Amino acid sequence: MLKYSLRRLASAIPTLFLLITFAFFLIRIAPGGPFDSERALPPEIEANLAAKYHLDEPLVFQYGRYLWQIVRGDLGPSFHYRDWSVNDLIAQGAPVSFALGVAALLLALVIGVITGAWAALRQNKPVDYTVMSIAMVGISIPNFVMAPLLILLFAIVLGWLPAGGWAFSFDRMILPVITLALPMIAYIARITRGSMIEVLHSSYIRTVRAKGMPEKEVILRHALKPALLPVISYLGPAAAAILTGSVVVERIFTIPGIGSYFVQGALNRDYTLVMGVVILYGVLIILFNFMVDLLYAWLDPRIRYDDGEAET
Amino acid sequence: MLLAASAAGAATLHRGVGPEPDSLDIHTAQSLSALNVLRDLHEGLLTLDAEAELIPGVAKSWSVSDDGRVWVFELDESARWSDGERIVADDFVAGWRRALDPATASPTAALFDVVENAHELRTGEVEADQLGIEALGPGRLEVRLNRPLSWFGELLTHPVTYPWPGEGSARFSGAFVLAGQVPGSRLELEPNEHYRAAGQVELDGVIWHVIEQPNVELARYRAGQLHVTETIPPGRIDWLRERFGDELRISPYLGSFFLAFNLKREPFADAPKLRRALSLAIDRDIITERVLGSGEIPAWGLVPPGMPGWPEGREPPLPAGERLAEAERLYRQAGYGEDRPLKVELRFNTSLTHRRMAAAIAAMWKLHLGVQTRLVNEEWKVFIANRRQGRITEVFRGGWIADWRDAVNFLQLFESDSTGNYTFFDDAIFDGLMRRAERQRADGRLKTLRQAERRLLDEQVIVPLYYYVSRHLVDPRVRGFENNPMDIHLSRWLSLL
Repeated sequence: MLKYSLRRLASAIPTLFLLITFAFFLIRIAPGGPFDSERALPPEIEANLAAKYHLDEPLVFQYGRYLWQIVRGDLGPSFHYRDWSVNDLIAQGAPVSFALGVAALLLALVIGVITGAWAALRQNKPVDYTVMSIAMVGISIPNFVMAPLLILLFAIVLGWLPAGGWAFSFDRMILPVITLALPMIAYIARITRGSMIEVLHSSYIRTVRAKGMPEKEVILRHALKPALLPVISYLGPAAAAILTGSVVVERIFTIPGIGSYFVQGALNRDYTLVMGVVILYGVLIILFNFMVDLLYAWLDPRIRYDDGEAET
Repeated sequence: MLLAASAAGAATLHRGVGPEPDSLDIHTAQSLSALNVLRDLHEGLLTLDAEAELIPGVAKSWSVSDDGRVWVFELDESARWSDGERIVADDFVAGWRRALDPATASPTAALFDVVENAHELRTGEVEADQLGIEALGPGRLEVRLNRPLSWFGELLTHPVTYPWPGEGSARFSGAFVLAGQVPGSRLELEPNEHYRAAGQVELDGVIWHVIEQPNVELARYRAGQLHVTETIPPGRIDWLRERFGDELRISPYLGSFFLAFNLKREPFADAPKLRRALSLAIDRDIITERVLGSGEIPAWGLVPPGMPGWPEGREPPLPAGERLAEAERLYRQAGYGEDRPLKVELRFNTSLTHRRMAAAIAAMWKLHLGVQTRLVNEEWKVFIANRRQGRITEVFRGGWIADWRDAVNFLQLFESDSTGNYTFFDDAIFDGLMRRAERQRADGRLKTLRQAERRLLDEQVIVPLYYYVSRHLVDPRVRGFENNPMDIHLSRWLSLL
C-alpha cells in the first residue's frame, strides 16, 4: 500500500508538468495581453511594463523562468492586481473557498446519503417519488437562479440574512453554502439510492437476511458501506471543483474566494494568476483522486493495492 | 479584518466601488475604482469639492507666470502625512520622479508629458533632476511646463501627481487611511487624524465594497447593506424610478459613446457619403430610450455637454423627417442600393447592452437602407487587440470617459499620431487645428477646438450615439452627495444622518 501510494504520488509530477506546460502556452496564444486596455498606452510605457514583467523575453525563456519560480514555490506577481503576488491572492482566497466548499460538501453528503438511502428503502413508494422529484428539481435549477432567489427571499423580503459579503460566520455562510450544496445533495441522493437498491438486491444481502439478522443491522453494517462506493468516486472530482471555488456563487454573494480568479484571470490575461489557480486545481484533483482510491480499498475488501498492482 | 469591520462606528459609510481596484500605488493604479479609493486616501496639490470643482488641496495657493508656463505652489503648513510628518515639496518631487522612472512602469505616466522634460525622462533621455519640478523650500514648489495649459489644475487632482508616501510606506496624505483590505471583498478606511481638514470629516469610517455585478450591488442596497451604489443594472430604469424615487441619482457624466469607422479599409476608406448615410439612418432617441433606457442623452457630437466652453446641447444635422431621405440619397450616391447592398461587420465587445444596441442599429440600417450587417461579438481583450491593429475592423464600438475636464481630452484621440486613434483618421486640417489650439488661450483656444470637433464630425469619422450619465442609488440618510459631471464623490464630503 505504501509503495503504491508513493508510486501514485510520483506519477503526479509528470502530469502536473504537462498541465503547467499546456496552460502556460495556451493562455499566451490568446489574443491581447495583460496591459491592453481601453486607453492604449504609449509604446515606451508598454515597453517598460513588458520589461518589468519579463514579457519582452522570448517565450521559451519566460517558460524556463516560470518553471524555476514554481520549483521555489513562487507563483509570481499578479499582472492585474498589481499590489499582490499570486501567492498572496491564493493564500487569502483559498481558506474562504475551502471553508465554503467543506461546509457545502459535508451538508450535501449527510443530507444526500440519508435521503438517498431512505428513498431506496421505500423504493417505488410515495417517499421515493417525492425525494427523487425534489432531487431532480435540485439538479435542474442552476445556482445562478437559486442564489438570487434565496437572496430575494431571505435578505430582501424577510430581512433575516445579509445579501452578500463575507465573514466566517453562520449568517454570511448559510445562503452560499445552501446554494452550493443543493445540486450536490440531489446528485448524492440519486447516486446513493441507485447503488443502495442494487446492493439490497444482491445475493449476500439475501443471505444475511435469511440468517435472520435484524434489518437495521443489515442496512448499516452490510448494505450502506458498499453502496457508498459510487458516491465516493463522485466526491473526488466534486471536492476538487468545489474547493477551488464556485465562480457563480462567489460572484453573486460577493465572496472573496478563488473561484472568480479563474474567470477574471483569463479575461484579464493575468497570466500568472491563471497559472496559479490551474496548478492549485490540478494538485487538488490529483490529490482527491488518490484519496478516493485509498477510500475505495478501505470500503471494499476486494480492492487491495498490493505490490503496486490494483486487483479488483 | 473581521474585527475592523465590526468595530467600525455607526457613522460608517458603505459604498460600492465596482470591480477590484487594480492597485493602490498612486503610480500604478489605472482603474476608475482604484482612482476613487485613492482620492479618499491621498490628496494632491489641488482637490475637488462635492461638486467636483477645483479647490486648494495640499497647496493653499498658487500663481502662474505671465507666459503660463511656470506654476508656483505654496503648500499648506498644516498638511500632514497620517504619521504626523509634514507634507513637503520634496514629497512631490520624489513622487513625480518615481512616476516617470521607466522601472516603475507607470501606465499613467504620459499624463505628465506637458511638464518640462517629462517625456524625455520616461523614455530615459534625461536624468531625473532635469524634470521640470523643483522644491523651492519645504513649503514651496515650482513646476515648469512645455507650454501654457489651462487645464493643468485638473491634472493635479489625478492620483499620479500626488505626493509620494515613500517606498513600502503605509502612510496617507488624504482624509482617510487604509485600515484593512480583503481582495475581492472590501477596503476599510478610517479617518486620518493628521489630515489638514480632519475636523470637517464627519464619517467614522468608509467601507468600499468590491462588487462587480450591478444586479448583485442592487440586492445588497435593497438589503440595507450599502449606502451608495457604484451604478445600477441596465434596462430597469422605470422600475428603479418607481421603487426608489429620489434615491436614484442620474446625472450627466463626461463620457461619450460612438461607433467608429476604420478609415484605412474597405468599405469605409474614402467613403464619407456612405459613412454619413449610416450615421443619419440611426435614430438616437430609440437607442437611448428603448435600448438603453437609463437616462442617456442622444448625441450628435463627440465632446459631451457640461464640458467647459461647449454648448449644452447640439442640434441634429437635419430635422428628423429629412434624415432618412438624405441617408438613402447618400447611400445610393455611394454606389449602393437594392441590387448591391452594403455588407458590413459591426464589431463590439461582449456585453448585453452592446449586443442589444448593435442589434437595434443593424435593424435600422437594414430597414432604412437595406444594409446587411453581421454582428461580431468579441471578448474584451480580443476586441481591443483587433481594434488596435485595424486589420479586420470595419465599424466598431468606441467611447471615451474624461480623464480631466477639457475638450482636448476627447479630441486628441483622433490626432494622426494618437495611440488611441483606431479609426486611423489622418487629417492635416484636424491636426493643424489641434496644434493651433495648443498655442492659444482662453476663448480663442476653445473656438479652435470647436472647429476641430466640427472637422471631425464633417469628415464622418465617428457616429456619435449618446452621452453617458452617472447612475447611483443613494440612501436618504447620506448627506453631501452632489451629482457632478466628473462623477467623483470624495468620502470627506459625505456624512450619515
